Amino acid sequence: MRFEEQLLDHLPRLRRFAHALARNAADADDLLQASVERALLRREQWEPGTRLDSWMYRLMRNLWIDTVRAETRRGETFVPPDAGEAVGAAGNQEAVVELGKVGAAMRTLPPDQREALALVVIEGFAYREAAEILDVPIGTLTSRLVRGREALMAKLGEAA
Amino acid sequence: MTIDPEMLMAYADGELDPLAAKRVEKAIAADPALAAQVEQHRMLAASLRTAFAPVERAPIPARIEAMIRESAKVVPLAPRPARRERRFWIGAIAASLVAGLVAGPLMWPQGDSIGFENGRTVARGEVARALDTQLASAQPEGAALRIGVTFRDRGERLCRTFERGETSGIACASGREWRIERLYGGTAGQSTEYRQAGSSSSAAMADAQAMMAGQPMSAEEEMRALAARR
Repeated sequence: MRFEEQLLDHLPRLRRFAHALARNAADADDLLQASVERALLRREQWEPGTRLDSWMYRLMRNLWIDTVRAETRRGETFVPPDAGEAVGAAGNQEAVVELGKVGAAMRTLPPDQREALALVVIEGFAYREAAEILDVPIGTLTSRLVRGREALMAKLGEAA
Repeated sequence: MTIDPEMLMAYADGELDPLAAKRVEKAIAADPALAAQVEQHRMLAASLRTAFAPVERAPIPARIEAMIRESAKVVPLAPRPARRERRFWIGAIAASLVAGLVAGPLMWPQGDSIGFENGRTVARGEVARALDTQLASAQPEGAALRIGVTFRDRGERLCRTFERGETSGIACASGREWRIERLYGGTAGQSTEYRQAGSSSSAAMADAQAMMAGQPMSAEEEMRALAARR
């Protein structure tokens, strides 16, 4: 299948990943757009026959981590997530989707736990695949997963 | 033995090998608190998936999809419907029927082999007779029309592929009639856009494969199915 066709097929999942990573809906769609732009520019670097989705997830995650690091340098980390979590800007014809308190809790997690949880729990990658996408040892991935889940359970337990 | 949190989580995620999973199961059986933790892991995972599921279902921002289509401009992409296969399927039928309409007089010189009734294409004359009676397993010597395979489609209809000269088709029984579902171009240049490569009969076979529920009929099944129509 053609590169563009495959990319179109993966878009809904990639968008979901972007929304799990980014702090708010607008940032998430900006991240998706930037990832698609970069993918189209660098399409020659993708080896046909290998999984395009893994390649795209890695590309998106690396773009995202760059912005997170830049924000950290500027001292902008831990800005609380926007109020009114939703997909699609108001006044837009795109569907507005509430992520609810689980999604909001997810966005308060440190980036390394958030990306691990997003890949394994939401996107359904095996530990080994997620560790490859993140370029970390599998032990590092599992400890981030455990800490992320414990933090989420604590937050959601408080809320309940 | 003690089960560390990583191992318990990996168990909940189905990531452990069978041996390790057995060990965790033993520990769980002995300790209800561990069982409760596994349950918590699974519930959290389910609620995370549920929370983000609507994002996947929401329409993609038009500007992003447009970027990809722009990049693919050299060869335009098909529209991306929610049920791509279905759209393609109907398109293919329409395309093959159009090909049949246009090429009809050329491919079927007798003219009475295929007719149109209420907008449907049906087999007539020798085509209908062959579809009614001719067994794929015992084709008459020198028959103008040859039957390829006989099968049931997913709607339980009795269908057959046929070939006459350069032309192939798929017909499915509808009451007493045989509806022509597909017709594949006879001479060069008549093939539809979907079937530019390969002969018309291999195109018919490939589509029959896709329509088929299960296997093609055996000689005996075919005989019974035809007899049941009489």
